[in-house]
Amino acid sequence: MGRILVVDDTLFMRTLLKNILFSGNHDIVGEAEDGEDAVEKYSSLQPDLVTMDIVMPKKNGIEALKEIMAINPKARVIMCTAVGQEQMVKLAIKTGAKGYIVKPFQAPKVIEEINNVLKS
Amino acid sequence: MKTIPVKFEAEGKWISAKIGVDETTINLPEPINTTILIKSIDDVQQKKNIITISVEENIYRIATVPKALVILKRVILMGCSGYRLRAYFMSPAIRGGVMVNDAEWEKGAITVLKTGIWFVSQNHQICIPVADVAAIEQTQREVQGTEKEVVKIDHVETGDVSTSFVLCPPTTLKVLYNYLTDATKGISLEGELDPLSSQVAMLVYSGMDTHSIEGMLEKSPRDIEAIYDRMLGLGLVEVVQTRREVKLTTKGVRFVTEAVKPPTL
Repeated sequence: MGRILVVDDTLFMRTLLKNILFSGNHDIVGEAEDGEDAVEKYSSLQPDLVTMDIVMPKKNGIEALKEIMAINPKARVIMCTAVGQEQMVKLAIKTGAKGYIVKPFQAPKVIEEINNVLKS
Repeated sequence: MKTIPVKFEAEGKWISAKIGVDETTINLPEPINTTILIKSIDDVQQKKNIITISVEENIYRIATVPKALVILKRVILMGCSGYRLRAYFMSPAIRGGVMVNDAEWEKGAITVLKTGIWFVSQNHQICIPVADVAAIEQTQREVQGTEKEVVKIDHVETGDVSTSFVLCPPTTLKVLYNYLTDATKGISLEGELDPLSSQVAMLVYSGMDTHSIEGMLEKSPRDIEAIYDRMLGLGLVEVVQTRREVKLTTKGVRFVTEAVKPPTL
């Protein structure tokens, strides 16, 4: 079980991810709807893992990831991306993301990926 | 000509025999006693260790050990009458939204038949049944540091939604895309979904049950039922389970009332 921060600019995606994570016995410690909010919440909540959307207002997922990695180089961040954003994913992995999931996704596979990253 | 030990179906019985196979023909001995021209084969289907070969109206079923089946399928898929071209493929690349860790581009061929899209490489023979194809899209993907045009195939694989990619020269990619689109035209969506119904579709895709969907979208069971009806009408979903809502009868109320009473000593 992990304490997870869900970051996505759409309420629908956040709600979906929260439900999936909850069904996988994870705790949702917070949610953020842009990159700026994500960095602030990461600092204050210190979650075990962050699911991070890439395309967001104010500060995108890559910029937020960079700042989170500066706060904690061991931070576990999984990027949520759409097919076709491979370039962004590559950059995210270079920056320190521990994994990525592609929208749309299926609950059991997402839980499996999150559990794998939490174990690592 | 190679000989392969098989069992083949003839007159409702399975006959053990050795069949002759070369690049152009398959020879089935008595009692069928037929030479199948490989270029006349228009479909191949596999179920476990049995392949079903279609030549116009004629159907042949052949069962053999996995190693021999690989040889037989390779000869057929590289010589049959389906649409075929040399290509690189990655199948599956994504499963349920999660990248497959050891997915890599394989050099081989793609053969499109009546019922299946086959990927054939030195090590693999992968079939995506046409009936399981959810979407075909021409898109871009990074291959060895450069953006390349690829064909993306979304398909259902043992309950999971998977994505495979095909890469070939740009001149043939469009032809492949058009051919695959045509071969799978039965899956195209006739009619549109409103945004709320699209969200319901996305939640069903993600594995949410009806109760969760009602809660997440803050909609009544009746609203969700109406959306399901629209989706059923469009052929987007099928009913797997019908749940019932019940209320207690007088007898039931009495049972519950009794059940909560403290035990008598």
